[in-house]
Amino acid sequence: MSTERPAVLPKNFLRPCLLLLLREERAHGYDLLERIQSLGFDGSDPGGLYRALRGLERDGLVRSVWEPSETGPDRRTYEITRPGMEELHATAKGIAAGHETVAGFLSRYQEFVSLPRAKSLLRSTSSTPR
Amino acid sequence: MSELELLRIRDEVLQAMYWMRSEGLAERPSANDLATFLAVSPTTLGAYLDRFAEEGYLDRDGELFSLNAKGEEAGKRSFADEFADLTRPTHGECDADCWCHSSPEEAARCLEERANVH
Repeated sequence: MSTERPAVLPKNFLRPCLLLLLREERAHGYDLLERIQSLGFDGSDPGGLYRALRGLERDGLVRSVWEPSETGPDRRTYEITRPGMEELHATAKGIAAGHETVAGFLSRYQEFVSLPRAKSLLRSTSSTPR
Repeated sequence: MSELELLRIRDEVLQAMYWMRSEGLAERPSANDLATFLAVSPTTLGAYLDRFAEEGYLDRDGELFSLNAKGEEAGKRSFADEFADLTRPTHGECDADCWCHSSPEEAARCLEERANVH
């Protein structure tokens, strides 16, 4: 029986990832769908992205405006709001704290079993300046 | 179902179809495609799509649905309306060219005025 499991990500990880992408630069939906793949998502769920963006917009964390397109209908372009930046910062701090907890867990587990990917994680953690 | 609830569902469907189309994801989605996109039951959604087609918002080609001119206009308008209040600058936010950037006193007045709007 295979023991391969997908990476364990924080709950609703898509939301902070979208905030991060929009913190980098404003974007429309398809652009976000492509760029989200660099953060561990496979980009095969445009509906999930759409619903997440609507949720973020309802919560006031992003806002969107119409952007004329030369090749088709006008598109919604999204940008992060100030509350969105604050939410992103708070979430990033929580993830950083969780990262240390997970690193501690993996370090103790590896006293019994070697995990190649966990080793690289621990190396990057220990080499990161504080 | 109340008329208000029906309008809400219609807006949601037309907005989603407009978004899919404008992002180049799907011109003519099926009921199943839309149900997956909106994370709702395809059976339930299918009945609504038939109704919205009868009301003249959608064109139907077999299992596929597309926005016609009326549906596209309604989807785009309701999209903007739904988030109109949220796209205005909120407390602590204003445009880069706002007069309040000229001095700390102006900034304080700007903040107070925006706070009093709500």
